[in-house]
Amino acid sequence: MEFGFTTAAYVVAAVLFILSLGGLSNQESAKRAVWYGIVGMGLAVFATLVGPGAGLWLLSLILIAAGGVIGVYVAKRVQMTEMPQLVAAMHSLVGLAAVFVGFNAHFEMGRVLAMEPEARKALEGFAAVLAKKNGAELAILKVELFLGIFIGAITFTGSVVAFGKLAGKVTSAATKLPGGHMLNLAAAIVSLLCLVWYFNTGGFLPLFLMTLAALFIGYHLIMGIGGADMPVVVSMLNSYSGWAAAAIGFSLGNDLLIVVGALVGSSGAILSYIMCKAMNRHFVSVILGGFGGPAGEQMAVEGEQIAIDAEGVAQALNEADSVILIPGYGMAVAQAQNAVSDLVRKLRGQGKNVRFAIHPVAGRLPGHMNVLLAEAKVPYDIVMEMDEINEDFPETDVAIVIGSNDIVNPAAQDDPNSPIAGMPVLECWKAKQVFVCKRGQGTGYSGIENPLFFKDNTRMFYGDARESLDKLLGLVD
Amino acid sequence: MKIGTPREILNGENRVAMTPDSATQLQKLGYECLVETGAGAKAGFSDDLYREAGVTVVDSAEALWGTADIIAKVRIPTTEELDYLTEDKTLISFFNPAGNEEGMEAAKAKGASVIAMEMVPRISRAQKMDALSSMANIAGYRAVIEAGNNFGRFFTGQVTAAGKVPPAKVLVVGAGVAGLAAIGTSTSLGAITYAFDVRPEVAEQVESMGAEFVYLDFEEEQADGAATGGYAAVSSPEFREAQLAKFRELAPEMDIVITTALIPNREAPELWTEDMVKSMKPGSVIVDLAAEKGGNCKLTVADEKVVTDNGVTIIGYTDFPSRMATQSSTLYATNIRHMLTDLTPDKDGTVNHNMDDDVIRGATVTHKGEITFPPPPPKVQAIAAQKKEKPKELTVEEKKAQEVAAFKAQTKRQFTLLGVGGVLMLLVGLVAPASFMQHFIVFVLAVFVGFQVIWGVAHSLHTPLMAITNAISSIIILGALMQIGSGSWLVILLAALSIFMAGINIFGGFLVTRRMLAMFQKS
Repeated sequence: MEFGFTTAAYVVAAVLFILSLGGLSNQESAKRAVWYGIVGMGLAVFATLVGPGAGLWLLSLILIAAGGVIGVYVAKRVQMTEMPQLVAAMHSLVGLAAVFVGFNAHFEMGRVLAMEPEARKALEGFAAVLAKKNGAELAILKVELFLGIFIGAITFTGSVVAFGKLAGKVTSAATKLPGGHMLNLAAAIVSLLCLVWYFNTGGFLPLFLMTLAALFIGYHLIMGIGGADMPVVVSMLNSYSGWAAAAIGFSLGNDLLIVVGALVGSSGAILSYIMCKAMNRHFVSVILGGFGGPAGEQMAVEGEQIAIDAEGVAQALNEADSVILIPGYGMAVAQAQNAVSDLVRKLRGQGKNVRFAIHPVAGRLPGHMNVLLAEAKVPYDIVMEMDEINEDFPETDVAIVIGSNDIVNPAAQDDPNSPIAGMPVLECWKAKQVFVCKRGQGTGYSGIENPLFFKDNTRMFYGDARESLDKLLGLVD
Repeated sequence: MKIGTPREILNGENRVAMTPDSATQLQKLGYECLVETGAGAKAGFSDDLYREAGVTVVDSAEALWGTADIIAKVRIPTTEELDYLTEDKTLISFFNPAGNEEGMEAAKAKGASVIAMEMVPRISRAQKMDALSSMANIAGYRAVIEAGNNFGRFFTGQVTAAGKVPPAKVLVVGAGVAGLAAIGTSTSLGAITYAFDVRPEVAEQVESMGAEFVYLDFEEEQADGAATGGYAAVSSPEFREAQLAKFRELAPEMDIVITTALIPNREAPELWTEDMVKSMKPGSVIVDLAAEKGGNCKLTVADEKVVTDNGVTIIGYTDFPSRMATQSSTLYATNIRHMLTDLTPDKDGTVNHNMDDDVIRGATVTHKGEITFPPPPPKVQAIAAQKKEKPKELTVEEKKAQEVAAFKAQTKRQFTLLGVGGVLMLLVGLVAPASFMQHFIVFVLAVFVGFQVIWGVAHSLHTPLMAITNAISSIIILGALMQIGSGSWLVILLAALSIFMAGINIFGGFLVTRRMLAMFQKS
């Protein structure tokens, strides 16, 4: 009876979770979708507490509440520019939890197997599930929990490193220990050997060794990936945390865990795919880190970068009818989104057609720019995706590039030898005038020169993005 | 440093290279401004106006050339004027370097720097100092006005109580800056305007000004105007014949013809032949803007207005900009001012003659005792490139065939994937126990649902998506809840920790998602 109720609740929760993800297809339904998720989660936890969750549930509730307080505190306090590191930090928690639950499953298995058949009948909760398993099922269980721990451990250290990189606590450059990917390969082989060992003996030692190896892989793999590839990394870790949950679900025989884990896993996988596609790179080459050497001689860039002051930009803006802004990570770094929003409001007040063009990999998290602009109260219907707006540049009077570089690099189209050749880019140079708001004359993440800056219709508006825009704001009438 | 502008000596030249307005701007660059007395009188700028703007008015040309470090003027300097130059002086003026060998030699001998305004390269960045364009614009406008002055009818068609007036028909030959200005003026006066140019790529510009582009029935690859710095190139004899035939056909209908065809450093091409003039109606007017270079019509007399035997007026004035001296002085002075802005990057009132700068290098004809003409070709291409040929349109059958092929490839790929996946599944099913397979079905279906659902998520909501998937991946809490009731203290500890962490995630994840979504607002 009790278990029937639990299963029914799980079905409802699973449906709610699916609706919750599906609701994100547009901004309005998304607001409803969060509630589906919250109710689903509440239902699942409640059903587990009254059903298979055996005992100590006062303690459980207290722990959930304590965690909740911290969660609420963090969620209220976090700046929108800090979203990437928050998401990474939260992934690490899921990863660690998966490792712990996996260990627990192992201990329980040992404990239950040591019991007499009569004693087994008195068991409750997870132990009761275990007690009914036969030999083959136990063997599969070992593989499942092994996988769950493996993925969970990689997610944990990987997310911690990603967090460090995104928060600026660890250098965002790609760094590897001597030996590079051979170390990762060695660790992976060790893990595989441990699997065989564990499968045959069922001891704790191989499990523990594998955990260490997986922790190392997670750390070293993500250390070797540079800052601008973080959108892929974060979505990949998102995916991993889902697969870890699914693997644990298998080992616990809990369908809801499997369903949710699969949903999250596929969601992260799709995001990674979209990000890679937007950079025209293979997933493997992103994960293995760094750019390969150029295939041949790159086109030399001729000409000079011509600077312009705020008055010049303001004059052009006053005369323009249509303006497109292209924000990048630089806008997030300079915290310039509010200045941008004020400028846009002023320009729109004059009846100009002002829009944003967002490249899929702008920023450090999928959709990062959208969230920042939304925070600054930029209406989302003027924030366009690359494919929606790329054809409009020739009819645009002024394009302003704010802290982005590689995503507006014409070399991706013109120079087949460029490391970013073939990557889809925003064709802002087709606008009548382009202003590039940039700190200095450096190159972008990929370390390649951007011919856009040398184009005839491009002017460089040097300086900190926020200060420059504030100055501009006073000059636009 | 001091910038001085002398009075123009050439008879009939009314323009002046500095206006009180431009002087104010020049002073902001750190310069001191001088002007010869009476220099602006004919352009409508009195000495007093200059004084008000803070300009020192100097009594004689000699004194001015002596004190000023930079001399800005309009017309090509005479020998006496060149004599005033010394080593440290800079002269900014029209210079016609291609036909002024002696002038350049003289300036070279003096060691002075000369910037020739007609040599400013035609690139976007230099448009603000392109005096040829600004003067041509005025000439085009004035040409229409002069034509109207000598034309005995309205431009616009009218139906009045006193009878019907047909609109005038205007043909503009050569759609450069002057041609386009003439087109604009004449259409705004109400005439029916036709325009011709050897560069077919300007047809769009012509049509945008409201005129009709005259196309030739002639198949020849035309030189790309963009390759020659935006100017027309010499055309082939066959092309010329086709062009003249078209003009002959048009001549009897046209009331006003304005010719502006010039090819750099060449005599103006003859486009409007004697027989065309003969075939025109009496009272028609021809304005030949190429008169200075021999004229597009052979009957043109430079600087004069002649009337042919059949009553066609041909105007060959060469001083159109000077006839609108106030306007042209203002524009020219602004061109000069922009040139000086580029020469003074630090705004400190001293000239930095940067020969690495494309524009400055291009315009400089003598510098430091050397002749630097002709300049190297500009690196950047000018405006309006010929349209590239569009990719060939596919026929319906070809498109269909492509679609079928793509469909087949997709089907094949899907079948292979499904086949391989199915076989793998069967293999797993052979070894795995039934209970595992039950969960496995759930897993596979969930992955499918996940893929279908996530593809629909808006790009802009990817961050909230990550936050919410994060929150729901804390479902791992269920596992910990099931285990916490176990007997072993170690298990209880680990499960408790897991519950705690998942709790952070659940609340943090959902709350932060809500916060983000609440921010998305429609305008």
